[in-house]
Amino acid sequence: MNDVLKIGDQELGSRLFLGTGKFSGTQAMIDAVKASGTELVTVALRRFNRDQAEDDLYGPLSQLEKVRLMPNTSGAMNAKEAVRAAVLGRELSKSPFVKLEIHPNPHHLLPDPIETYEAAIELVKQDFLVLPYIPADPVLAKRLEDIGCAAVMPLGAAIGTGKGLSTAEMIKIIIRDANVPVVVDAGLRSPSEAACALEMGCDAVLVNSAIAAAEDPAAMGAAFKTGVEAGRMARNAGLMPTSEVAVASSPLTSFLSAND
Amino acid sequence: MKLTVNGDKHEHRGDGSIETLLEELGAKKEHTALMVNGTVIPSEDWNATALKENDEIEMLVFVGGG
Repeated sequence: MNDVLKIGDQELGSRLFLGTGKFSGTQAMIDAVKASGTELVTVALRRFNRDQAEDDLYGPLSQLEKVRLMPNTSGAMNAKEAVRAAVLGRELSKSPFVKLEIHPNPHHLLPDPIETYEAAIELVKQDFLVLPYIPADPVLAKRLEDIGCAAVMPLGAAIGTGKGLSTAEMIKIIIRDANVPVVVDAGLRSPSEAACALEMGCDAVLVNSAIAAAEDPAAMGAAFKTGVEAGRMARNAGLMPTSEVAVASSPLTSFLSAND
Repeated sequence: MKLTVNGDKHEHRGDGSIETLLEELGAKKEHTALMVNGTVIPSEDWNATALKENDEIEMLVFVGGG
């Protein structure tokens, strides 16, 4: 297990956060959550429908020890709707975490930075631990930290695309300047990308599609667990410096040609 | 009592309490978050809340999401 991650006053033993959408069924999701070792899972709010009672995840998730719920604000088109969704979510989650996401355009699902910022101000006032899903924008990340967000969650690539850490250079700047945890949220496809994010200095990753849409979600959950742990271990171990020229690992003595 | 629940018309035959409305609709109390006319009603305030004719109620549950 990696060193503990602290977000606000909450401590998490795993640096892998898991989304619960897109799974083929509840049992597949629960199996993946268990295999991943995650201690923080996201959930969404939807209108109650008695004909789809099996979609209600409160029961199955509340059975899991150590797993805390982080309701998201998906569906919110603006700050006001997001705040309302967060308050409703906290009613059920009994947890201070909220994943603040406002992405009004379904074609790209990119976050609205202005509405996100305004909602974050209000949610911080209401004592949420606000984890905003944001573009990989170092200025915005800093502004959100300044107003009291507990972490920032820049995207690696657009939601569900599996295009990995396409924003890596911007994320590195965010990490360099941040005094709160940085969590890559969205875009990751493979455990190696998760490892890469942790090696770069990200504090955690949030993964959904890569695990839910894998052929074997539980096995992929376990693979991401290992990837995240390896990346964090590597970060803590201190990666070697890079060099523009070759640096020999073996002695370059010329004994082979000594008696020519 | 005529109510709108999650956008649909609903004829409530109970006592106007939130708890009986949930029972009427088959919703579980601890699984449900609730708004009445756009205001979130915390579960600890449910007993003190009396529904009125034409109230608009939103009942929300947790589902999968990233």
